[in-house]
Amino acid sequence: MNDIDRRKLLKLLGWSSASLAVAGCGNPPESGTGTAEAYSEPGDFNVPGVGVYYASTCTLCEAGCGIKGRVREGRILKLEGSPECAISKGRLCGLGQASVQHHYNPDRLKEPLLRVNGNLQPVTWDKALSLIAEKTKDAGDKFAFLTGPLSGHLKVLVQNYVEVLGSKNHFVYDLLANKANQLAAEKVYGISNPQVQIAKAKLILSFGADFLNCWESPVHFSAEYAQFRKANEGKARGVLIQAEPKMTLTGANADRWIAIKAGSEGVFALGLVNALLEDAHHAKNVPASVAEAVRKYDKARVDRETGVSEEVFGRVLAQLRERSPSLVLSGPSAEGHIHGAQNAAAIMLLNVVLGNVGKTITAPAKIPFPQMAPAAGDTSALIAFNQALSQGRLQTVFFHGANPVFTAPGFMKVRENLKKAAFKVAFAHYRDETAEEADLVLPLDSALEDWGTHVAAYQPDGVQIHMQQPLMERLYPQGTRSLGDVLLTLLKQRRPDEYNPFPDYYAYLKSAAIKNKAAFKDAAADDEEFWYQTLSHGVLNVAKPEPQRIALNPGALDLDLPKPAEEDLHYPLRLVPSVRANFRDGRHANLPWLQETPDPLTTIVWGSWLEIHPKTAGRWGIAEGDIVEVISKSGTIKAQAYLFPGLEPNTVAIPIGNGHEAMGRYAKDVGVNPLKILDPVFEKSTGELALHATRVKLRRTEDNRTVVKDEGWRPGVVNTQMNRKIVATLAADKIKLFPEE
Amino acid sequence: MLRFALRGRKGLGAHKSRPLLGGLMLPAILAAGISLAAAGSKIEQPIEFPHDVHAGKMGINCMYCHTYARRSAVSGLPPLQKCIGCHEHIDSVKDKPRIKKLFEYWEAKRPIPWKKIHSLPDFVRFDHERHIQRFYFQQGQPVQEVCAHCHGDVKTMTVAEKVTPLTMGWCVSCHEQDHPENAVSAKTANGPNDCSYCHK
Repeated sequence: MNDIDRRKLLKLLGWSSASLAVAGCGNPPESGTGTAEAYSEPGDFNVPGVGVYYASTCTLCEAGCGIKGRVREGRILKLEGSPECAISKGRLCGLGQASVQHHYNPDRLKEPLLRVNGNLQPVTWDKALSLIAEKTKDAGDKFAFLTGPLSGHLKVLVQNYVEVLGSKNHFVYDLLANKANQLAAEKVYGISNPQVQIAKAKLILSFGADFLNCWESPVHFSAEYAQFRKANEGKARGVLIQAEPKMTLTGANADRWIAIKAGSEGVFALGLVNALLEDAHHAKNVPASVAEAVRKYDKARVDRETGVSEEVFGRVLAQLRERSPSLVLSGPSAEGHIHGAQNAAAIMLLNVVLGNVGKTITAPAKIPFPQMAPAAGDTSALIAFNQALSQGRLQTVFFHGANPVFTAPGFMKVRENLKKAAFKVAFAHYRDETAEEADLVLPLDSALEDWGTHVAAYQPDGVQIHMQQPLMERLYPQGTRSLGDVLLTLLKQRRPDEYNPFPDYYAYLKSAAIKNKAAFKDAAADDEEFWYQTLSHGVLNVAKPEPQRIALNPGALDLDLPKPAEEDLHYPLRLVPSVRANFRDGRHANLPWLQETPDPLTTIVWGSWLEIHPKTAGRWGIAEGDIVEVISKSGTIKAQAYLFPGLEPNTVAIPIGNGHEAMGRYAKDVGVNPLKILDPVFEKSTGELALHATRVKLRRTEDNRTVVKDEGWRPGVVNTQMNRKIVATLAADKIKLFPEE
Repeated sequence: MLRFALRGRKGLGAHKSRPLLGGLMLPAILAAGISLAAAGSKIEQPIEFPHDVHAGKMGINCMYCHTYARRSAVSGLPPLQKCIGCHEHIDSVKDKPRIKKLFEYWEAKRPIPWKKIHSLPDFVRFDHERHIQRFYFQQGQPVQEVCAHCHGDVKTMTVAEKVTPLTMGWCVSCHEQDHPENAVSAKTANGPNDCSYCHK
């Protein structure tokens, strides 16, 4: 008995768990159970337990917010917005906060992989790079590099590499690009990327622009929105009206949400234009030909084609007349149709008529370094790339920052077409669907381990270039590399004289920044001091950015919108592949924080769901939790139904991002991918995929499962706050939003 | 009750570490029950570091090696570089087995895997800096006594031993006392008792 200690004795007697509970309550861990290791040689500024902040840039979306990362004991712990960044101004969204989970993700690629006998097997970097040299030797136009949106020096290196190989095939692909919007802005304002001054507007009328969630620069717009909503210094609280077929987060924040028929946004906008031109002070803003062209968009047509009642139309009109300056925005739900750019132009024309241009629509400065200017990407790039693949014109293809096998619609058959290219290289962080098809997979440093420069497409104030610097040492120093370093190595193989002076990507960036330092504000005279400042602040402010000019030409717009498409009795519903800020195009699905964060409108976590209007659900005999087959002409997927009143009744929505077949433990086999059943419909003036133009029908299966959500629990009852009335609520129709009505 | 009365009258600074610990031990044992099973037992370390030589015989200030204690929540183990900084100039002990082992670690640039002795659960945030600043810099107590409140009379030990329970009750028993605000003032104040001070 003497040999048995107390814990063993309790275990023998069946008391072990209870005893541990008692012992564990309030007592510190036993001595000697863990180890504590100090540095052999501590680094500069390193005080254990005390955080040091380093500046860098968030890379999770294209907004390009400046960040400060808290590093303790050499480990990055937390990211915040950088106050010196004109975009984030010290703020950061949930997506950016989750960036550390990409860095510490257990599914990150840790070593290069080469396909041998059909399987990906570990290979050394030396072998991988010499293989690339061999396969790209006489590549020429048979080589293509498909990337996601790029800017800064990485874009320069990618383009130089493509050029050095004698190819013109750099395809920049972004599923969520807004090319139709850019084209329309070019036509209406004479510039493709106007600034929208949300804070200065007294009224915002937004057609599906989800600027609080995932439209262009959400952190910046959220801060502007806070100002817009504040009543102070004689400025009234701004009013937000949102018209869209599926409620977005911005729509949920609106004072008036209008369920408009998908694709009819242009008609609604031109109806407003027609009515507004009755006022002399509005009519003088456009030539008479415009008034003539919009005359056919009378109230009756608007009522008929948009599904918005004359009464609501009248109220919106009254608000637009009363509150000036206003701001009218066009978003993806208006642009994802055959006539998307025309819709967008019609919407933007409202700003011209209302005299908002110059007040809430302003011109940003020109980005002075065209090579570094952002390549925003589009879906027509993917279409062109896929076409070249299918015709066997590409032999060697590289991928970076894009996962076309997952994001391309099923009808494009990207996976099958990729087989026609003999050598495919994926520069990746995970073994995602595209990496699984590749012959060589090269693991990259995480964004928090890498160097870089970024130029955001949306510049709210002057022009800033953002610096990206490692916030900690590589987690896998033998395995991962910076894409900048790899490209430099590959360029040195071809052009040693030009690139040998740069030992690595860091040296390349430093030398580039120093060479151009005269272009930046408050640059120190001493080069080293300037570089030190640059990294400390994380931003370079261009000293004298050249202004762009707005050039209005509303008379040249094509205002002849097509008649609404015939109803298809076999496929009566419109599918909205909705965008969640958490996942964007699906690249962040392997972050458990983001899977676990409830969708802001439905409160559902993990998985995918089909949002369906309660009336429509009643018609199809569908209840919450029913597993429903969603059938388009291009395919079928199964999703769980969620009854949601924030929809135009003929519209159903499934969020994009889940439904991965690979990528990692948190993404694989979670939810479904609505992109796979998109119809082959294209925007007519840009050639972009029309993401909102797919028609579907539903078929209820016998299966029903509980929807995993944070809101109420009792089936069949609209029930929130766990039935406990934690916060008192009032039904929306009981609130008088517009006292003057 | 006896302990409180005693401490309340004389204040923390008036105690030598031994009587203080003696005073604490009994109620702490009563409060924490079995938790003291491991207290005082000697844990085998990769190198049997002689605190008695460094802090006792040589009289080196604790903060010379545990340099972070006054600047950070954690006192931090000294980096190897610190040991070597002195020992590469002390030829008389270079052939001692412990020093030889030390240089082996240094040459391999490998940190010494010390066993944790004073370990707290993750949900407790003890701040060394606040305590050192208060009792050493403001009240002017001798450094070895300040450290000894929690760590025992280290100058008599070789490797560190746990001689206090480090339970919440034990912490609170001291926080409830009136401590002089600084070396010259007669004003006293309690240690904070808000949950959020330690449970962040």
